[in-house]
Amino acid sequence: MKTMFGILAVGFALVGLAAPAAAHHSFAVEYDKGKPVEGTGVISKVEWTNPHMRVYVDCTDDKGVVTTWNLELGSPNSVIRRGWKPSDLKQGAKISFKGFGGRKVLTRAAADVLTLADGRSFAGASGAPDGTPEQYGVGAGVPIP
Amino acid sequence: MNVRTIAIAIASFAVAVTLSAQGRAPGQQSEQERLPARLSGEFTPLAKPDIANGPVPRMPDGHPDLSGPWVGGGSNSDLEKDGGLKPGELPLLPWAKQLRESRKEEDEPYLYCTPMSVPRVNPYPWRFVQSLTATGVSTIYVIHENGDAGGVRKIFMDGRKHPPADELLPTWWGHSIGHWEGDTLVIDTVGYNDKFWFDSRGTPHTTQLHTIERWTRTNYGTMVNEFTLDDPGALEHPVQLKFTAHAQPPGSELMEFICTENNQYGVAADIPNIYREKGFGLEVQPPTQK
Repeated sequence: MKTMFGILAVGFALVGLAAPAAAHHSFAVEYDKGKPVEGTGVISKVEWTNPHMRVYVDCTDDKGVVTTWNLELGSPNSVIRRGWKPSDLKQGAKISFKGFGGRKVLTRAAADVLTLADGRSFAGASGAPDGTPEQYGVGAGVPIP
Repeated sequence: MNVRTIAIAIASFAVAVTLSAQGRAPGQQSEQERLPARLSGEFTPLAKPDIANGPVPRMPDGHPDLSGPWVGGGSNSDLEKDGGLKPGELPLLPWAKQLRESRKEEDEPYLYCTPMSVPRVNPYPWRFVQSLTATGVSTIYVIHENGDAGGVRKIFMDGRKHPPADELLPTWWGHSIGHWEGDTLVIDTVGYNDKFWFDSRGTPHTTQLHTIERWTRTNYGTMVNEFTLDDPGALEHPVQLKFTAHAQPPGSELMEFICTENNQYGVAADIPNIYREKGFGLEVQPPTQK
């Protein structure tokens, strides 16, 4: 698969992203739903740490420039409770991501969908029920009852 | 919480549909079965109805077993709303209302890994730990997986009284004494500091805060917290709130959580740590007399 790095301004309705939220704090405080980001690269580091875990991804553009993304997920506990294992995220593995960029630092993002090289994909990576859809905006292409 | 959970579930379902539409190789089926295409919508699983509707478990001494683990049972985003009041019904004094309005969610002390304190909870589980000694349950500890910052709350069940007010150093969890009234655990707490927020909305309080919790487990899966909030420094009069906690499935346990391990809160949005210089506590001095 071609390595790519990009910031998409496409509507959420096209990709159907879930509205991310967090237990430790509202992701909307730090990340901007108006800044959808995505990329494909190599996992350079995984931090199974509190309060939230992080996955660092090196993305190389067509000119060979490497950008390291700092992707924030929920707490390790929340991620493990929902079915992940530490062995599912390995340093050096290829990974694609979609998320929302930081309000000030765009290469920091709230991860929403992570897709591994074998095609396994996970959505709602930073989701938790204490963040409300309202905090991220009901216009996020997500059907809110 | 229910509405949120449903909303998240529906949103996640939409994503799952989108992802499955992209197609996958058939050989990945078994792996897909082990690892669902999306994370479970249930952030912290709760006991299913067949178990939740069952009887209240009891301790050897006959009192209800309140161990849990529990999810919920307190405030989180908005004390007033979470506690069952209508907008504007929380009788905040003018200065306290003004302070609440001036506070920003991004400045919650909790985000800097300080304890949530009473009556706050988050979506992670917590427990009452009833420590049995030769004289019975002498102390009940409260352990939160996430949000107590490792500070364990102690509820003295040995019949002692609160120390005199001028001997109490205000603390994050205050001084709690408990007793049973029938099947209800009653916890009376004073000696709180003014450093925590009741909710992410920023509802404030003073060191005059006095809380009374009445915890009643009504079946296996449900525990009600009839909560009396009294703070002459911040409220016109005491107010009665109600919260409900739900039990996790049998065999559930708290996981380790060390909040300060790698807290990068604020960096992505360049949010200043307003507490680094000033310390925690009220931003304004409340009037001495209401």
